[in-house]
Amino acid sequence: MMMPTTNSRTNKTLTMKRIETIKLDNVLPRVFAGSEHDSPVRDSQVWLHSLTLRRDAGAYLVEAESGTGKSSLCSFVYGNRRDYTGRIFFDDRDLASLSVGEWCEIRRRHIALLPQEMRLFPELTALENIQIKNRLTDACSEAEIRRRLEALEIGHKADAPAGLLSIGQQQRVAIVRALCQPFDFLILDEPVSHLDRRNNLIVAAIIAQAAREAQAAVITTSVGNPLLLSDIDTAPAINTIKL
Amino acid sequence: MSNNVWKLLRRNISVSQIVGYAIANLVGLSIIIAAVQFYGDTSEAISGEDSFLSKDYVIISKKVSALNTMGAGGDTSFSPDEIKDIERQSWTRRVGQFTGADFSVMAAIEMGGRRMSTYLFFEAIPDQFLDINPRDWSFDPANPVIPVIMSKDYLTLYNFGFATTRNMPQLSEGLIGTVPMTMTLSGNGLHETLPARIVGFSSRLNTIAVPQSFLDWANERYAAPGDRRNPSRLIIEANTAGDPAIAKYIKRHGYEIAGDKADNSKAAYFLRVVTTIVLTVGIIISLLAFFILMLSIYLLLQKNKQKLHDLMLLGYSPGQVARPYYLLIGAVNAGVLVLSLTAALTAASWWSPRLADIGMASSGPWAAICAGVVIVALLTCANALAIRRIVHRNFYAS
Repeated sequence: MMMPTTNSRTNKTLTMKRIETIKLDNVLPRVFAGSEHDSPVRDSQVWLHSLTLRRDAGAYLVEAESGTGKSSLCSFVYGNRRDYTGRIFFDDRDLASLSVGEWCEIRRRHIALLPQEMRLFPELTALENIQIKNRLTDACSEAEIRRRLEALEIGHKADAPAGLLSIGQQQRVAIVRALCQPFDFLILDEPVSHLDRRNNLIVAAIIAQAAREAQAAVITTSVGNPLLLSDIDTAPAINTIKL
Repeated sequence: MSNNVWKLLRRNISVSQIVGYAIANLVGLSIIIAAVQFYGDTSEAISGEDSFLSKDYVIISKKVSALNTMGAGGDTSFSPDEIKDIERQSWTRRVGQFTGADFSVMAAIEMGGRRMSTYLFFEAIPDQFLDINPRDWSFDPANPVIPVIMSKDYLTLYNFGFATTRNMPQLSEGLIGTVPMTMTLSGNGLHETLPARIVGFSSRLNTIAVPQSFLDWANERYAAPGDRRNPSRLIIEANTAGDPAIAKYIKRHGYEIAGDKADNSKAAYFLRVVTTIVLTVGIIISLLAFFILMLSIYLLLQKNKQKLHDLMLLGYSPGQVARPYYLLIGAVNAGVLVLSLTAALTAASWWSPRLADIGMASSGPWAAICAGVVIVALLTCANALAIRRIVHRNFYAS
């Protein structure tokens, strides 16, 4: 895959080919070094395995227990953390070789992430939190953003400071924000841990539709409260992976 | 929309720290710029061709002792070896020799119907050591008129010592040039009278000077062969005014300095030392201010670390999240620059008429402005680099 360097000083977007696969090769978080033969590494289908995630494969459901390194996996693939051994590739490009500028470009155009802890800015309103991402990508109009907030039943909270929202409301704001960009892979780290079944289904439908439109794969993790992609009308193919 | 980024990142900016920095740097920078301006204004006087603290010319001679008077002491002239040794010193730019007249001179002037005559002496130095540049400073044997430069002191002595007590007319410099004067030169069996004219007065030369070309010609003509002597006075042009090494050298060899040039050059040296001290103080204050700002920025970025990181997680580049801080630093530093330039140049406008009163022309504000701009640019670059480094360090969580 060709990855031209982006100028990290400007907002200029350079064209980069779509990422078709994410390949993990013998990856292990450093924190697990020395316990390769113990649980959870021993039982994992990810750590120390060779695993390829494909853009056209629909959805991946990564099932995990607490402390198995699920958020670490998301951070590694998003370029946020580098404390692992083994290698991760976007197509044939080793992540370790990506520059800061290339990572910025990838985060704007190719990989979308909803972090488990959401990382909203509490002093900004819900809408401002979304727009601060959207102004980088120019992916949605304000009307579209408001429509999505309405669909998730938090339209009336658009102008409230994010710090005053409940965790469940924050989760939905963060989901809308994550969708405000083009992507090849959408990584959702426990996206519905604080949502009831009804909202879970709404989120699942919105995400399935967004992924379909973007011709992208969804990677979602859960510790027992999975995103109910399989329960919606137009369900994508679902591949379950045990971490 | 970008206001949102600013809204996030301006949190934790400590106004008091920034103001503290601005005031400290304002003081430091004003002192630096003022010192540079002052240095420029006064160096005209220190190194200028034609001013009272001029490039150092030292006239030296050997001490005359009672033994010399009795005719029993050593020679008071400089041997070629001694001259060579002076030329070798690091502070020497050029050495000129006083050539004496090896024949006798009788000068006569006609003034108010009265004729006055006196024995006189001549000396010559190479033209480039003269502090004045009179017209007609040349001698042509075919049409012989002797141009003479007198020490200003002699005119002062005449006007205020002699003329006032003897009811003689006081003379201005211009008038003297028009007084008809003759010189009778005798020696080597010849006795000739030539017209002469005073063409100028020197404050550097404590002598009666004629052109080197005239004296060479006259010595050839009137001096008995074998009567040529080594020079007994030397004029030295030094590289830096008031270099203490000169005084040490002269003391060690038992020479004497003529006139008050030594005092002037001490003043110049003192001026330089004081300016340098003031400049150093300014630089130290500015450096301390710079560290205050660095510390403040470091604390600020440290407090906003999480926000910087989260913005970059959204796809903001390090340059984009650093930009508000660049702008902040740029604006503060630009403000400090403008204010300190204003302060320093206001001070300069206070002292420059006072310096002009003693004949020192202002050197213009450009050197000082350049110094200020360069210093602020350097400080801003250093700040920006530090910000950039800290932001980049926060790009990866681990």
